[in-house]
Amino acid sequence: MSQRVNLDLKNELFLYGAKEWNQCFQCGNCTATCHTTENGFFFPRKTVRQVLMGLKKSLQTNIDPWLCTYCGDCSRTCPRDANPAEMMMSIRRYLISVYDWTGISRLLYKSKALEIATILVLALIVMILYLLYTIFPSGDTAQWIGSDGGALINKMAPWKRIHLGDWIMAGGLVLLIITNVFYMWYKIIFEDKSVKVRFIDYFKVLLLFPKVFFPEKKYAKCDEKKLFLYWSLHLFLALSYAMMFTIIVFFLGWFQTDKVLPILHPQRLLGYISTLGLFVGIIYFYTNRTIKNMENSKYSHFTDWTFLILLFLTTLTGILLHFFRIYGMPQLTYITYLIHLMVLVPMLTIEVPFSKWSHMIYRPFSLYFAHLKRMVLLKHTLIMDNSTQQN
Amino acid sequence: MDEKKSTVVYFCNTFNGDTDVINIPEILAYTEKLSGVSKVWLPADISLSDPEQVARKIKMNNLTRIVIAGSNPGMYKSLFSKSMVLSGNNPEDVFLAGFTEHGALNKADTPRAKAIVACAVFGVPFEIAAVHEELSVNPDTLVIGGGIAGIQASLEIAASKNKVYLVEKSGTIGGHMAMFDKTFPTLDCAACILTPKMVEIGQHPYIKLMTYCEVQDVKGVPGNYTVKILKKARRMSLATCIGCGICSEKCPVKTTSEFDAGTTLRKAAYIPFPQAVPNKYLIDESVCTYVLSGKCGVCVKVCPVPGCINLDEKDEVVEIDVGNIIVAIGFKTFDASKFEQFGYGKYPNVLTSLELERLINAAGPTGGKIAKRVQDKKGNWVFSPDEIYSPKSVAIIHCIGSRDENYNKYCSKVCCMYSLKLAHLLKEKLPDSEINEYYIDIRAYGKGYEEFYNRIKNEGVNIIRGRPAKVEQYGNDLIVRCEDIERARMIEQKVEMVILAVGTEPNTDSAKIAKLLGITVDANGWFNEYNYISDPVNTFTGGIVIAGVCQGPKDIPDSVAQASAAASRVLQSIANSRITNSIKDLSLEQIETKVKELSKQLEGQL
Repeated sequence: MSQRVNLDLKNELFLYGAKEWNQCFQCGNCTATCHTTENGFFFPRKTVRQVLMGLKKSLQTNIDPWLCTYCGDCSRTCPRDANPAEMMMSIRRYLISVYDWTGISRLLYKSKALEIATILVLALIVMILYLLYTIFPSGDTAQWIGSDGGALINKMAPWKRIHLGDWIMAGGLVLLIITNVFYMWYKIIFEDKSVKVRFIDYFKVLLLFPKVFFPEKKYAKCDEKKLFLYWSLHLFLALSYAMMFTIIVFFLGWFQTDKVLPILHPQRLLGYISTLGLFVGIIYFYTNRTIKNMENSKYSHFTDWTFLILLFLTTLTGILLHFFRIYGMPQLTYITYLIHLMVLVPMLTIEVPFSKWSHMIYRPFSLYFAHLKRMVLLKHTLIMDNSTQQN
Repeated sequence: MDEKKSTVVYFCNTFNGDTDVINIPEILAYTEKLSGVSKVWLPADISLSDPEQVARKIKMNNLTRIVIAGSNPGMYKSLFSKSMVLSGNNPEDVFLAGFTEHGALNKADTPRAKAIVACAVFGVPFEIAAVHEELSVNPDTLVIGGGIAGIQASLEIAASKNKVYLVEKSGTIGGHMAMFDKTFPTLDCAACILTPKMVEIGQHPYIKLMTYCEVQDVKGVPGNYTVKILKKARRMSLATCIGCGICSEKCPVKTTSEFDAGTTLRKAAYIPFPQAVPNKYLIDESVCTYVLSGKCGVCVKVCPVPGCINLDEKDEVVEIDVGNIIVAIGFKTFDASKFEQFGYGKYPNVLTSLELERLINAAGPTGGKIAKRVQDKKGNWVFSPDEIYSPKSVAIIHCIGSRDENYNKYCSKVCCMYSLKLAHLLKEKLPDSEINEYYIDIRAYGKGYEEFYNRIKNEGVNIIRGRPAKVEQYGNDLIVRCEDIERARMIEQKVEMVILAVGTEPNTDSAKIAKLLGITVDANGWFNEYNYISDPVNTFTGGIVIAGVCQGPKDIPDSVAQASAAASRVLQSIANSRITNSIKDLSLEQIETKVKELSKQLEGQL
């Protein structure tokens, strides 16, 4: 495959948080130390080589950065301090911007000011819509308190209207992310002429389901045992997030009630568990990124911080909202609800299709594609081996 | 010049993040007080990309001379010359005050840096102002270190009928070279080259050999040093020991042998190796039962020479007067157990290259048979000379502790070549075995070295480009995990023995010796030479020269060459009966007065 050497690729990757890697002398230590390396998937030296040589086209169709578990073994043992692990993360950011056909992601990753401005504008829009379609509890606030002492939240911000907003936003975001995944498929599978995937293979690979979607088993091979806590908390955070997301998008009517239910009611229990997951996870990752004692939290791009801070503010306002409502403070409830939405909506709009959040979608899909490619390649080599043996 | 006050001193950026740099603020204050200096510029004051702006500034302040001061000021000269032309001045009136060039490197050298600036301000070359003092020379020489470099230097000096004291820390001379089996690239037997020289040292009328001794204190001036030497108690008389070895035979205490790189055991009463010079036994006080607890004394009872063994002997200190000192203290090998991933010290058949060197040697623990470690009846891992235990496959991993940002950043220079040599020797002894070399880059840089590399390649050694990440043990086999970069595949090679090609490191004593002698070490711990290119044997201290690996990693031919060069430096001063003191010992005041005298002379001439 002939391709043009791109001399600006290096400078471009610096904007995505890459560190200097010119000191790499291609010794292959990173590949050998990596527990995800198999024959055919040369990890991560192949990617480093592509960057060093400025092979933009190869880099854009490269799936390897998505398979990286960021355990940091390669960076820790790298004899040149070239930080291959951090580079994989930078390339992930770069790939997110490549898969995003709108080009918005590229702009947001490259400019801190633009990202903050977008957040502020979105927050302003949310505020205007909120003030237009909800009612401020004014005058005699006693009428906003329910019989059980809780604030009547559905009188102020009826769940049906919020739900409508949810669905409109979710629809847009889903559309964007699906098209992005399609573009990812185009780059990784379609443009790679060495792999011919038949239609049936897409279903065959699903038989490997547990291997594809639960790669955590592989993490156990990693040398860094400290990472067990890291990955458990990451899983807890992701599950809590998914639970909260499902509840709010699909069951808001069940979740946002005027009546204060008993503490052991599933509504409150589920809410508390997922909030705990979010809160503990965020605090842990925040401290990790500040202390920088682990290889995978040594370097932080500003988008990493944006995601963490927005998620933290969302969780915090959610917790405050809950207590203001329970203890019957209607005005505070109303304002906190506004702030909650003002943080939540920009977070989802920016992070889901254009930034860090999208790894939740891209990573499972990349594992799926990787197994697909691997299966096809293996079959191919198997046939070749057989034919050579017969000869 | 003094009245006009027309000189500007520009300090280019000399801060490099080090804490031990020259004290720039102090020099700034000193410079401002110098007569003739009207202005001091710092990097922030002018823009280096704009000569016209600098020219305007020169005109505005009526400046006619520029002095650029800093570690490496040369790179700024063209800019200032341009500005001088633009401002209508003579471009030749740009002077350099280079700190590195004239040996001002650390905080302690601040007075010298001041003198360098003063010389540049007054227009006097530093070399002229700082004339070295000449001193008389004691023709005796002290050589510290009895390795190949120390031996060579001693023989060279003694050959000209000058007295040499050769001080060696261990019980014998020979150093690392005595442990090697063959030398690359000629594959000569190392002992055949070294032992005649060792014997010559022992018999030479002009060499006073002092083994088992350490330099304790050095006083005096270049040409006349008084050195205190600690003679550690051998507890056996050098004069009367006949080397029969009965004491060692009967001695009940065992410890690991330094000479065999820890692969065998020796007694507390021992001789380092059979060809040791002096060929006399000694007692290791750190393990001897009598020294530790006052009981035993078997050796005294069995010794056939009455009064030879005196277990109560004490260390003594002797003083010698010498004129020159040659430092050749050598190196130590990198501690391979720092690399957890290669399992040295954990897996019995992961060896360092030095251990393999002993294993190959005919006088080694297995009599020259390549053997794996196997568990004996008591459960200890020992080398078994049995043929069935010779390894069928061996992996040699290069660059252990060298070229690694986490350990030593430098290339140890010898590992590639000795690894190739070891591969050849293994192939010679075990023709059916599979030898794999894992390298990052092969550095075959000398006469006949590239040819040697090609020869080894053609002998059927697998030379694989790729740095292994880890060595793991499964059963009795070791698995080396590596990427074969040139053939684009992952390798999980099953081998029976792994050799780690450890790099070189400065000797444990080098910091102590440097402090005693007043010489400096670089960031890696190697001794600083006067000039790496043109004067690699002198140091910044007069009368002290360095030779061998203690100056930087090098192989045997280079060490020998440098030792001869060091000897020639020493003989030069002895032949002239004069030694030049180094500039370091001149005070700032001395240079200042000299500068003022010279500048007056120069003005008078003009």
